[in-house]
Amino acid sequence: MKAVLRQSALLLALALLPAAVQALYLRERIPWQSRVAESDLVEVETARAWGANVIWVDARPVDEFERDHVPGAVSLNEDRWSEALPQFLANDWSPEKKIVVYCSAASCNLAEDVARRLRAEAKLPNDIRILKGGWEAWLGKK
Amino acid sequence: MNGKRLLFSSLCLSIAASVHASLVFEKTEVDLKPDLGAAQAVAVFKYENKGETPVHIKAVRPSCGCTTAALAKNDVAPGEKGEITATFNIGDRTGVQTKTVTVDTDDAKVPQTVLTFKATIAQLLDLQPTFVFWQANEPAQPKTIIAKVAKEVTVKKMDVVSSSGDFTTKVEPGKTAGEFKIQVQPKDTTKPLNATLTIKPDVTPEKVYYAAARVMPPGTAKP
Repeated sequence: MKAVLRQSALLLALALLPAAVQALYLRERIPWQSRVAESDLVEVETARAWGANVIWVDARPVDEFERDHVPGAVSLNEDRWSEALPQFLANDWSPEKKIVVYCSAASCNLAEDVARRLRAEAKLPNDIRILKGGWEAWLGKK
Repeated sequence: MNGKRLLFSSLCLSIAASVHASLVFEKTEVDLKPDLGAAQAVAVFKYENKGETPVHIKAVRPSCGCTTAALAKNDVAPGEKGEITATFNIGDRTGVQTKTVTVDTDDAKVPQTVLTFKATIAQLLDLQPTFVFWQANEPAQPKTIIAKVAKEVTVKKMDVVSSSGDFTTKVEPGKTAGEFKIQVQPKDTTKPLNATLTIKPDVTPEKVYYAAARVMPPGTAKP
């Protein structure tokens, strides 16, 4: 009995070995692994609680935005960035409001890119956050 | 003895299952450096079916709407080679852009492969910042936007036009070659104003950039 148990444990360890090697090798390439610092993220509940003190920026492609979006959100993505940014700044931006940028799981890291450019290129002084879980998280808490 | 044989077989099987795939890609990661001003970047991922049974490619899924993935055929016979072409529409993107294409197959051993390409998008003109603003009643002093031209390009002249007569603009040479200082000044800061600044460096083909200027409404809180 002891031998069977020992052999089972050994077999299990051997079966797990390649999986562990693969997981270690692919550690940096897991698509859902966020590059964003936790302090740059915001949960849906927190962002909602900010109420009117937040500007929602939808970084998804325009067709996805047109299908549905967070109420009051502004479409701003990198497809037409140089034309859309001045419009956003003229019509929607306010220095005292927080900015929450979101994309969806399908549109990967678009929110990160938009948030980065609002900070680095437009030099906006606002508290700019990325919605944790993106559009899907918003839908889940609707 | 039987135990050792069993162990050995299990080891071989588990290793084989993890490393052997029928559909083998030459590279799963590609670096792209599109030309300055290019509209698209194309990544080609070559594959071969090194197994003994046909593989059916069920889907190729780009990670975002800015990328399309093309596949000549879905069924790959043993020994057959092919390629998946990922076309990335650059749009107004800048810097390093990492995108993926997920390939789903009916290969039980490796049902999914993630192909990654990293495109480094060089900018013809870097504007810092792309936005200048004044609080209401702030002194109407000029604010500066620095325009830096990429090293590969020569720009002798840069035109800047404001969409509103409420702002004046002036272009001066910067500290170094290929650098320009764009001075923007509102005529008045007692009322809300805004303008889009159209920036045209003398490059061929013609390329237009935009910046923005704004005077905030009275009562707007400071950040």
